[in-house]
Amino acid sequence: MTERATAPLQLPERSRRRWPAVGATAAIGIFTVLTCLPAIGGVDVDFSALVRNWSNGATKVNQLLHPNFAFLPRTVSPMLETLAMAVAGAAFAAIVSIPLTLWAARPSNPNPVTRQLVRFIININRAVPDLVYATVLVAMLGVGTLPGFVTLFLFDLGVVVKLVSEAIDSSDHPYLESGQAAGGTQAQINKVTLLPQSWTLFANQWLYSLELNVRISAILGIVGAGGIGRLLDERRGFYMYGDVSVIILEILVVIVLIEACSTALRRRLR
Amino acid sequence: MTEQSPPAQSSESSAPWSISLADVSVTYPNGTRALRNVSVDIGAGEIVSVVGLSGSGKSTLIRTINGLVTATSGTVTVGGHDVTSLRGRRLRELRGHIGMIFQGFNLADRVNVLNNVLVGRFAHTPTYRTLLGLTTAADKDLALQALDSVGMLEKVWTRASSLSGGQKQRVAIARALAQEPSIMLADEPVASLDPPTAHAVMGDLARINADRGLTVLINIHMMDLARQYANRMIGLRDGEVVYDGPAGTATDADFAQIYGRPVQTDDHSGSQR
Repeated sequence: MTERATAPLQLPERSRRRWPAVGATAAIGIFTVLTCLPAIGGVDVDFSALVRNWSNGATKVNQLLHPNFAFLPRTVSPMLETLAMAVAGAAFAAIVSIPLTLWAARPSNPNPVTRQLVRFIININRAVPDLVYATVLVAMLGVGTLPGFVTLFLFDLGVVVKLVSEAIDSSDHPYLESGQAAGGTQAQINKVTLLPQSWTLFANQWLYSLELNVRISAILGIVGAGGIGRLLDERRGFYMYGDVSVIILEILVVIVLIEACSTALRRRLR
Repeated sequence: MTEQSPPAQSSESSAPWSISLADVSVTYPNGTRALRNVSVDIGAGEIVSVVGLSGSGKSTLIRTINGLVTATSGTVTVGGHDVTSLRGRRLRELRGHIGMIFQGFNLADRVNVLNNVLVGRFAHTPTYRTLLGLTTAADKDLALQALDSVGMLEKVWTRASSLSGGQKQRVAIARALAQEPSIMLADEPVASLDPPTAHAVMGDLARINADRGLTVLINIHMMDLARQYANRMIGLRDGEVVYDGPAGTATDADFAQIYGRPVQTDDHSGSQR
């Protein structure tokens, strides 16, 4: 029992093809350094400027560090507006995302033409920055929560359809074959097996899009798309950094609360 | 069990079908020749095991019968229908008459047992009814009967993920039976199961053949199970038929010929006969 084999272990030859990984790492490293050379259009990393101009920002930082809590009551109604936009945008996007995702994923849509078409449309949708949507929609629909809601809807739709369809693409679907063997149409297979199998993928992204919405809607207000962002932009315009500080803190609290809720929900979704 | 089978099961739709492969070859897009000039005739109501090592073409052979794999050349005739010429709706209708079970069970894990079995009614249900979730009482009854016949009725509301391997394969058999098939195909149905469960599942398949008279085709690589449960055995090696004869009297020498090597202990399921 205690006696070990004395012969040395014969290890098989290890592959020596490690240079691709080394090369890729080196290339990324060199590229990163090059991006910091202004002479060739890189970012001008100038830390001395930060030190020289520190006093310009210091008063603002100082104000930000002294939040004006007396302003809090005025933020309640815009924050509720923001939440309404965020929830409505995420909810409508969730409903519309179901058929679009099934069209965009290979296991649920073997037809390459319609699949690529839906993916193309979603890619266009994602290529447009949310601020551009908001600006155009504010011009079309007027200042308020409606353009904000539509912006968030479009943004969420892109996120959910892209991420969920890719997740469906990369997971295993053994039941597809049994559904085909039973003579089912793709629609039947999707409805009875693929969709129930994919609910957790959907639910995760729906909750994530809700979280994103609260963050984004703080920015959307800057172009007039309603909610807390509009108030934030107004107070910033008046240089009332104490009020801005309260709003930022409030957004932080709301985001943390929503994240806590969605984390709890996700844990129950397994 | 079948003395009181509902009239639907004795209807013409579930009368057994014959299978005929004439000079069938399959070459996959990557150049692999999975089947080479295979000609096999299986009569209605036969129970046949297809034996061979991994990669011998067993899975391809069985999939040409329901058109999951299309023959590159040759013709596959099933119940008088030329499978190779069927497409789309006609092919789905044909598949509705051919039940199939798999090594990996191929259930939807997060879906309950009843809905998994109702997959077997796809070919007999208009798509809009499935999309609207409208299940007819007759279909539900068929699904429940099928579950009962494999002893899984009490699990009807259970999620497939919480079943054991043997239970999953029984639900898969029920799914195939719910089709009221004329042919039952089984692709390595017991390779993922322990020996006692393997015998139970093979027994179910033999019973389906004996009681319902269905044509049953079983891919299997374990010699003892192939001998014990099938009447006829077809041996495949490198995509070619190298044995076709009675299963019970196949000798170890026959298996050595099919496998292209001496018989090993792994070739048995390892339990009592």
